[in-house]
Amino acid sequence: MKPRRLRRIVVNAIGLATIIAFVFPVYWMASTAFKQPGDIQTYVPKFVPFPPTLDNFTTAVTRPYFPDYLRNSLVISISTVVLALVVGLLAAMAVARARFRGRRSFLLLVVVAQMAPFEALLIPMYLVLRQANLLNQIPALILTYFIFTLPFTIWALRGFIAGIPVDLEEAAMVDGANRFQAFWHVVLPLLAPGLVATSIFAFITAWNEFLYAYVLMRDTANFTLPVWLATFRTAFGTDWGGTMAASTLFTLPVLVFFLLIQNRMVGGVTAGAVKG
Amino acid sequence: MVEGQAETGIGPAIVTPRRGGAPAHGRSAVARARRLFHYLPLLPSLFAFLVLLGYPVLLAVVISFQRMGLRELVQRTTVWIGFQNYASILADPTFWAVAIRTLAFTAFNVALTMILGTLVALLLGALGRWMRLALSISLILAWATPALTASVIFQWLFDSKFGVVNWALTSVGIFGDYTNHSWFATGLSTFAVISLLIAWQAIPFVAFSLRAGILSVPSEQYEAARVDGATDRAIFRRITVPSLLPLFMILTFLSAIWDFKVFTQIWTVRQGGPAGETVTLAIYAYLKGIAGAQYGLASAVAVVMVVLLALVLIPYIRTMLRTQEDL
Repeated sequence: MKPRRLRRIVVNAIGLATIIAFVFPVYWMASTAFKQPGDIQTYVPKFVPFPPTLDNFTTAVTRPYFPDYLRNSLVISISTVVLALVVGLLAAMAVARARFRGRRSFLLLVVVAQMAPFEALLIPMYLVLRQANLLNQIPALILTYFIFTLPFTIWALRGFIAGIPVDLEEAAMVDGANRFQAFWHVVLPLLAPGLVATSIFAFITAWNEFLYAYVLMRDTANFTLPVWLATFRTAFGTDWGGTMAASTLFTLPVLVFFLLIQNRMVGGVTAGAVKG
Repeated sequence: MVEGQAETGIGPAIVTPRRGGAPAHGRSAVARARRLFHYLPLLPSLFAFLVLLGYPVLLAVVISFQRMGLRELVQRTTVWIGFQNYASILADPTFWAVAIRTLAFTAFNVALTMILGTLVALLLGALGRWMRLALSISLILAWATPALTASVIFQWLFDSKFGVVNWALTSVGIFGDYTNHSWFATGLSTFAVISLLIAWQAIPFVAFSLRAGILSVPSEQYEAARVDGATDRAIFRRITVPSLLPLFMILTFLSAIWDFKVFTQIWTVRQGGPAGETVTLAIYAYLKGIAGAQYGLASAVAVVMVVLLALVLIPYIRTMLRTQEDL
């Protein structure tokens, strides 16, 4: 009995230390954001933000151009999602439901595109968009993020569609529905959770992207939230309260969205990869 | 990009689709037309892949053989210089230092992520229900945090004057006095912070994937082994480890790809500083290309990067093909 109890205690202690290691940075961001200005830069850290204040958030939100950054980020992220979803759904439907010559090659192309090192393609992308007179234009980022997210969108939707029994569509078509009606009334409702998960993923990708937004946009009014956040330190100096409040605001929607889809993200790579 | 959060989890959702679908066997004109019809929905995607991805890739290769700077760009002139860009980067000692540094940095981060990720996956299995739930939630928090936010938070944690890390290390006592210690004074120490930051964000994905892998090993195999009198250790070595090997390979490849091309974290933390000591290939290409306007040279760097990545990508795709009967 005794060594087992000792083992329990050791395992739980390691567990607790691991939990703290993963939670603490996020906690420290939020807690700094709510602290009184005098409580942030102290030699002995104050661990609980009491009494809490919203001053830092006010500082962050009232920075010049903040509404522009927020609007740019929302417009770009939502446009990316819509574009990727429409184009991706068409391809995913074909790949999941039909067998045709070149299907395997197309899927391989999707896998390769998914792995494309966009950080390395920055220069040619920059030159292409410059050629098309799209530099410093919001559509440049929408197109860029669309191609970033398209491979994953096709891949994920293909999986979700394949999970819906084809018999259901066939039954609807036997009952006189055409192919489009069968899709609209049978497949689409069942696909809803998959569509939500995939669009959240595309949204997060576009919302978080920094490098291209930083390079392609020149005018301050065209920046997105990540560019704003990255230049915060230079703009705010050592105002960690304002920086952490801005980070919290930027991270919050991602956290909420992520919690909604995380169990779908995990199943991913594993499904095919365990020898049964 | 997919990196930032792609990094957060590009587990492609893979569900094995039903075989079958709609076979078109007829040889009539109608059947042929119907077969062509299958390609119609693929056209927008194909167009996007070819124009938005294929063209830039091609352009990178073409430009890497040109002298292309601001002057050539504005005057729209084309100056072919053969392999001169490649020759000049290969002759540049900075490039070699950067390349070797990038490989070492990638190898270290992948090893750190995979070792700690595996340990966390095993820990998830060893913990009780509530502790496991708490650990899962804390892992999701780290996973979901955008790379940019994480980079900003870690700078605050490791701040020399008021950073909580320096206070904690000093308080513990055994590490010596860390008051006003600057983590960003040397390249190695800056890399240590960046590696910690990357691992903090990458471990959850690896841990969750391995945990899911462990759970999906058929329980009959364990039962059969137990009936045959195998010990826990033998079961782990003979059943768990071999079953998880393909998954482990895929996760290692993915980590290598992600860590090799990482930009946001390195750039946000110190822009490649101090004194260029944390410049990796991604940062080098950016500095040469965008900041230095040497597009030809930077394209050559990009091509070298893609070739190096392909060395990892090809075995990755082969493993994917082996484990995915549908592909």
